[in-house]
Amino acid sequence: MLHDTNTLDILCNIQYTAINGEHMTNESFENVILELRRGVIVLAVLSSLNQEQYGYSLIKSLDGNGLEIDQGTLYPLLRRLEGQGLLQSAWRVETDRPRRYYVLSDEGRQLLPRLKEEWAGIVSMMKKIL
Amino acid sequence: MSTNLVDIYVSEVGRRLPGKTRSDIQAEIRSILQDMLEERSQKSGKPIDEELTLEVLKAYGSPEKVAATYIGERYLIGPRLYPVFMLVLRIVLIVIGVLAAIGLGIAVYQTTLTPLNAFETILRAIASFVASAVTVLGNVVLIFAILEWALFRAGEKIEVVGLPKEKEWDPRSLAKLSPTNQVKLGDTIAEIVGCFAAIVIFNFYPQIIGFTPSLNGVFGSGNWAVGFGSVTFTPLLSQAFFYYIPYLTAVWGLTILLDILLLRMGHWTLMTRIGLIGLKIVNILIAALMLSGPSILAITIQSLTSTIGDAQAATTLMTMLNGAVHLALWLSIVGSSIEIIRSISRLVTNNLPHQVAVKS
Repeated sequence: MLHDTNTLDILCNIQYTAINGEHMTNESFENVILELRRGVIVLAVLSSLNQEQYGYSLIKSLDGNGLEIDQGTLYPLLRRLEGQGLLQSAWRVETDRPRRYYVLSDEGRQLLPRLKEEWAGIVSMMKKIL
Repeated sequence: MSTNLVDIYVSEVGRRLPGKTRSDIQAEIRSILQDMLEERSQKSGKPIDEELTLEVLKAYGSPEKVAATYIGERYLIGPRLYPVFMLVLRIVLIVIGVLAAIGLGIAVYQTTLTPLNAFETILRAIASFVASAVTVLGNVVLIFAILEWALFRAGEKIEVVGLPKEKEWDPRSLAKLSPTNQVKLGDTIAEIVGCFAAIVIFNFYPQIIGFTPSLNGVFGSGNWAVGFGSVTFTPLLSQAFFYYIPYLTAVWGLTILLDILLLRMGHWTLMTRIGLIGLKIVNILIAALMLSGPSILAITIQSLTSTIGDAQAATTLMTMLNGAVHLALWLSIVGSSIEIIRSISRLVTNNLPHQVAVKS
């Protein structure tokens, strides 16, 4: 009986460690993915704003392409990019209520091709490394 | 009802935002929430009611969280200053602790100890230590918060534009960043704290520079709880000393300004070296005037005799006190002179070879 209890304990421990270990790996995986995505968000946003869009439509269109962005990340980011002069925005009343539309500024338009080039460089570099 | 909830939510977010951008961000969040409500209502075929509003607000996040995403990280005392802050705090608390211990020693020495008043004396010492520790902590935090603010503003100007500037960093400027030219963070901040303390004490609380020879009188009379009002207080410094205070305050104030400038730049330059030399010359002048002028001590042989009751001891003590004052003033003159010589030599050694190197 005593022997059985001990075996059970050990088994439980092993299982616990396995589950815990799995959990930790998943968490690290999620963190790395988050970091990777964070890096591409600015480029994705700038590329999507060749034509003007309002915040919610932008988040939907990025989502449609498979890039899920937290609202708490996107809206402050739009304001920051506007503050840096890469975007410009204007309030416009459409379907009876105002929405803020963002679009690339002249500076943003000049920068975007260079950023895309840089991105292509990163992709080919990573292909070599991976 | 649902609009009402959105209104309350938006104003709750706005309450946590800086005034400049508040109304703009509020309008944007309101517009986004309405977009979300409309979309979810269309998808589910349900009207925009309270239930849907609660669902959307829940998805958007708590007002605190939402406001924080717009503000970013801000520090009262940031990671750059925190280690120095802790260092200064530790030093200052140790100094206060030592002073409190000395005060306790004097009180014990001057009191005929009974178990009851020993307890009172110790309690009183602890209370006074805690009170001064809290005051000092407040002042140190205040000074560091101002430093953080100044450094943060300086950093902001540099980091706002993410791309490198046209004028690129020149590695040859490293020659000017030789260890001798680097600003020592700890020393500089300690000096700022010291000067600030001197300005506050000499200008606003000059009465604490003195000593109370008859603490036992307070304990003896049993009215110690009334406070220091009943203690005989002997000022240590004379009117002649306080005549110099406006000039000393100017020097301390300029020293703080120079130190803040140095902290922002990180290294010494020609102008800051000249500024330091100027301040040290003024220091020497004030010390020389104090040496040649009337005594800066308010204590005389007569006052000491009446306190101690022994004329011989009073004379000896007075000679020692005067000697200490003279020594301190001379040390200040010598120290300032060394600083001037060091500054001049560093100006010469750091600037001349660098210019030659650039030319060749």
